[in-house]
Amino acid sequence: MTLKPLPSGSRLEGCTLTGALSVSTQFRDAVTVIHGPPGCAQHNLSLFHATCLENDTVVLPRLASTDLDESGVIFGGEGALAEAIRDAAALDPPVVFVLSTCVVETIGDDTGAVCSRGWDVPVVHIPTAGFLGGVFRDGFHRALQAIAGCAGEPGDGPGGVVLVGEKNLEYEVDAHGGEVRRLLSLLGARVDLRLVRGMDWATLPRLGVSRLNVLREPDLAPLGVWLGGRFRTPYLPSYPVGLAGTLLFLARAGRILGMDAAGAVRREEEVQQEMLSCYADLSGSRVWCDRGDGAGEGAALVQELAAVLDLRVDRHGTAVPLPDPLPVGTTGIRQLLHRWRRAIHG
Amino acid sequence: MGNCTNPVWPCAMAGAVSCLSGIEDLAVVIHGSSGCYYYPATLMPGELFGTFLQEREVIFGGAARLSEVLQGIPSHYLKIAVVTTCVTAVTGEDPAGVGADRDLLVVDSPGFCGGMEEGYRLAMEALAPAVAPETPGVNLDGIHPADPFSRGNLREAERLLALSGTTPATIFTDTTLDRLGRAAPVSLSVNPDLAGGAGRRIGSLLGLPAVAAAFRALGEECEGCDPGPVLEEVERAEERITHAADKYLRRHDPPTVAIFGMSAPSVYAAEMLATYLDCGIAAIGSRNDPGPSRFRVGKTTSLEEIRAVLDREQPDLVLGSSYERMVHPQGAFVGITLPLRGRIQLRARPLAGVEGALDLMEQVLNACMDRERRSRS
Repeated sequence: MTLKPLPSGSRLEGCTLTGALSVSTQFRDAVTVIHGPPGCAQHNLSLFHATCLENDTVVLPRLASTDLDESGVIFGGEGALAEAIRDAAALDPPVVFVLSTCVVETIGDDTGAVCSRGWDVPVVHIPTAGFLGGVFRDGFHRALQAIAGCAGEPGDGPGGVVLVGEKNLEYEVDAHGGEVRRLLSLLGARVDLRLVRGMDWATLPRLGVSRLNVLREPDLAPLGVWLGGRFRTPYLPSYPVGLAGTLLFLARAGRILGMDAAGAVRREEEVQQEMLSCYADLSGSRVWCDRGDGAGEGAALVQELAAVLDLRVDRHGTAVPLPDPLPVGTTGIRQLLHRWRRAIHG
Repeated sequence: MGNCTNPVWPCAMAGAVSCLSGIEDLAVVIHGSSGCYYYPATLMPGELFGTFLQEREVIFGGAARLSEVLQGIPSHYLKIAVVTTCVTAVTGEDPAGVGADRDLLVVDSPGFCGGMEEGYRLAMEALAPAVAPETPGVNLDGIHPADPFSRGNLREAERLLALSGTTPATIFTDTTLDRLGRAAPVSLSVNPDLAGGAGRRIGSLLGLPAVAAAFRALGEECEGCDPGPVLEEVERAEERITHAADKYLRRHDPPTVAIFGMSAPSVYAAEMLATYLDCGIAAIGSRNDPGPSRFRVGKTTSLEEIRAVLDREQPDLVLGSSYERMVHPQGAFVGITLPLRGRIQLRARPLAGVEGALDLMEQVLNACMDRERRSRS
């Protein structure tokens, strides 16, 4: 097998445009306009197509391209962008997102000015500009922030929990979301909104009545803080990782929601004990995991599992996988341990 | 320039990379952003390099970064192809002046200059393959690594050449730099829509009549080539297809069909279906500029255009990519063009040659029968 060589550092971290698209395209009723050559839209559509099929989703997002060609590069593409926004608005979506690419940034098109011309529908400009705007993570954060900024006044009725910043390109995205939902249901809490996964634009004001925001990962803390300032909503900094981490997640969520979490924690602890008993055959095995060495959340998880299952972690042990992102909750650990057993006994 | 919703056909840069990555001793560097790198990297099976440019390199020039990447390329690559992308083409980067100690080939094929076939053509032009009159055998062209049928087409073409007592010469592009420079005088194509390499193209292997015609021509041109065994195989394949199609037609009406893909393979599929199954060809949507055909062929490169055609025609059977399958799940489906996502394909499946024709008809008949069963249950 040949591995494609990749450089290290931020060069590796992907395109800002893809990061923003992974958010904007999760509005089922929106249109996203990509201001750039058709290749940028095609590359991303192909990625979403593959992701949709892996997640058994049969509806692709609406991605419009301004289809910039050689003359557009020479004479500017602002006219094409205006035309694309007009065409998108004609479809009567509740919102049009406009994302720029590195080539239009290079030729100096003023995408923001075209977007603010007073269109019949809300036009939300998310400055991305491909690699000129940063990396995948920057586009992802910028899109979430731009969308959160559109939430307006809080919606009606009692709120629930909002999942913030799900990784929509992740193979296990729904499995991870489902595990958080399962854990919250032990407390009697429900997920009211997924910002942003499979959303309709009209439900965005529900963000304002959220009682608890659960961030996908600690990296999203600035958005958690901003939402706290705007709507007074507390947040948990990440999905639960590890056995103890899952119990702690339940306890913290219960405290924020004003619910007694003791019963939920006890039940989940029983689930964990029962689950671990299924892997008793691994006891005494020698395992090794590159990311399990040293400090960090990954290492802590490997050490925790080694301790409860009586595994020996050393460099000459069987190589076991540790996915990135780390498995979520008790269910994630169960799935991970299936893979470890396959590696150990394989 | 026009607006286009959900474009489905890869850009020129991806086409150039696909052409070049089939040359074993040629390193391919995508000179641009990581966003431009990742898509071709998911399509091509081999090693690809990238400069992964960042903002400061666009502002101050990417020469130093390119030089750094070139220095890291293993020495077993005899030459390095640098493929420009939209931004490096706009900023006027001149990769030729970088990396003086390595043999460079610059391919200027930014995404905005056209579709995949245009990039493939530009790459082939830059490679400038040449004929060596003394080289025996027959070149094969139209092979490119991004094509899900490339391995199958290559094996089938090699098998047919062996059957006729001939050998393959240079394969465009699954070859080495050395062989690019000494191609045989004649070529056969498995996809005439892609630019040929060197050598006079004397036929195509898309469809049984084309295979027969190509090998008859080869028999006249190439010493030692005996088309007889291939012609016999074509005849037997026709009998088998006729028998299977006839049996299908005893119980079912022929399906109406919509076909999407590159022009030549789509027209080939239409000919097969009209000839053997008496199908009505409701529409052909070509990803590239259509070539001549007795069918009406329109250029269709976006998901919205595809959806419009399928909504209008409501065909029983769709040939195309996984995009068409997604848009029209109620129809029987057979994949004939990239991308074919969501299904596992491990074996080398051909579209061209005798086995390609048999495989196409086998897939079509099975898909139609499965659809009939689904509709009954």
